[in-house]
Amino acid sequence: MAISASDILTVSQAAPTKAVAPRREYPGALVVVEGIDGSGKSTQLYLLKRWLEIGGYRIHFTEWNSSPLVKSATRRGKQRRLLTPTTFSILHAADFADRCERQILPLLHGGYLVLADRYIYTAFARDAARGCSPHWLRNLYSFAPIPDITFYFRAPLDVAVTRITAGRPKLKYYEAGMDLGISLDRAESFRIFQERILNNYDQMIETDHFVLMDGTMRVNKLQKQMRQILGEHVDLAQFAPKKKK
Amino acid sequence: MKKIRAQSDPIAPPNGNAAKRVSAGNGAKKSENGRNGSATRFYGIPMPGIRTEELSGNLIVVEGTDGSGRSTQISLLTEWLESEGFAVQTMGLRRSFLVGEDIDALLAENAVTRMTLALMYSTDFFDQLERRILPALRSGLIVLADRYIFTLIARAAVRGIGRDYLHGIYEIALRPDLTFWLNVRPEVAFDREFKKSQTISYWESGRDMSLSNDLFQSFIRYQSMIKREFEYLSKRHGFIELDGERSVPEVNRLLRRRIASHLGIRSTHYKPSHALSHLWR
Repeated sequence: MAISASDILTVSQAAPTKAVAPRREYPGALVVVEGIDGSGKSTQLYLLKRWLEIGGYRIHFTEWNSSPLVKSATRRGKQRRLLTPTTFSILHAADFADRCERQILPLLHGGYLVLADRYIYTAFARDAARGCSPHWLRNLYSFAPIPDITFYFRAPLDVAVTRITAGRPKLKYYEAGMDLGISLDRAESFRIFQERILNNYDQMIETDHFVLMDGTMRVNKLQKQMRQILGEHVDLAQFAPKKKK
Repeated sequence: MKKIRAQSDPIAPPNGNAAKRVSAGNGAKKSENGRNGSATRFYGIPMPGIRTEELSGNLIVVEGTDGSGRSTQISLLTEWLESEGFAVQTMGLRRSFLVGEDIDALLAENAVTRMTLALMYSTDFFDQLERRILPALRSGLIVLADRYIFTLIARAAVRGIGRDYLHGIYEIALRPDLTFWLNVRPEVAFDREFKKSQTISYWESGRDMSLSNDLFQSFIRYQSMIKREFEYLSKRHGFIELDGERSVPEVNRLLRRRIASHLGIRSTHYKPSHALSHLWR
């Protein structure tokens, strides 16, 4: 019965099972935007998507937290405030797994350019801000394909927070990080929570090869830059409409 | 209850800072956590917000496939422990308020893929752990778990999800005080299950894995794969293996003997009440 702490972590004598992480064994490409709320990432990805759509490229757009199979559970958990840092994190991973297995991976194998509004780095930054272990989070999402390019939109905290609070009548409970009990004031809680997330994002810039984008630049100038960088990282011709024979 | 505490208390002084260190975001090292107080009750870094020194109750797990007699034994053990004056809380798969019904719906549809299902089960598990088990253990109850992380790991592993990955997810889970494995041959499990429901379930025969079009063959092959995973898990985690093919009273006697010695109960005499006497055969 004596068990050492390492025994659940070492898996040496087990029969072989396949590795979970599929890496670049597909013709498609994965483009991701990340950043805190109000950093301008969704606007920029929308414009990029429109540009590619209008050009007739083979693309698919996917959003964080949108799997139809898992949605009702997430919604209920949030409405009734049932989620703890751990269940919040795993439930979002389940949502991501569903999109990953049924959309993202098949599309990458089918040669699509997949655009993702938020990706695993959102979970790394946000769930770690809730107290989950970064090491545990990395493992949880280790089945995810690594993006070809990750645009990190960065805006100063004040700018981002003002953009969000000006446009939204009320911040949601989990969105504001109210579950952490940082502050009873929702706006203040949101600000502190976002600051933690921002710091966590910043720490990933180098390790995860983020392309830093200045979220305070004018929208059209930033979009021009984004299109140019995309062209440098991804062979867009591969996804262009086929000419008729 | 004094004696229980003495047995489950960590030898090292309790370490209430474990969760705090994690939230500092430095990716606490495994080895560092290997020898402190929290590691004796958790496999690795405990999940955020848990104070291990508060957990005075006992967690007893009964594992085994469908048809191993698990649920029958849990009912009998609950009655026995209650008659001995111990308050009991139970848990089992898909019983969480958060996602229990959602998993039922996913299973009915077949649209769900292996990783999503594994993570939904994981959500279900941690919701019960945080909302049911930990509060019960804080209040000094005996928690009887009808299956635990081991079934979840075995099912996902036979579907090709890496064991390291699965162990990584569940390393923040609570380590049971006792884990019993009711081991039965797949053929016996088949007979018992068929007798019970006159059919064999889609998931228990692993039909999602396309092992065989013959349901009996599919069931046997799938359960044999699960059994192999359990043999491996049993070694790693020190299961107490019991022959689930023995009679209900016999298996129950063996369970009571081990639990009694763990909890410091002197007499293991037990006869089921009239309400449960139909199980006693």
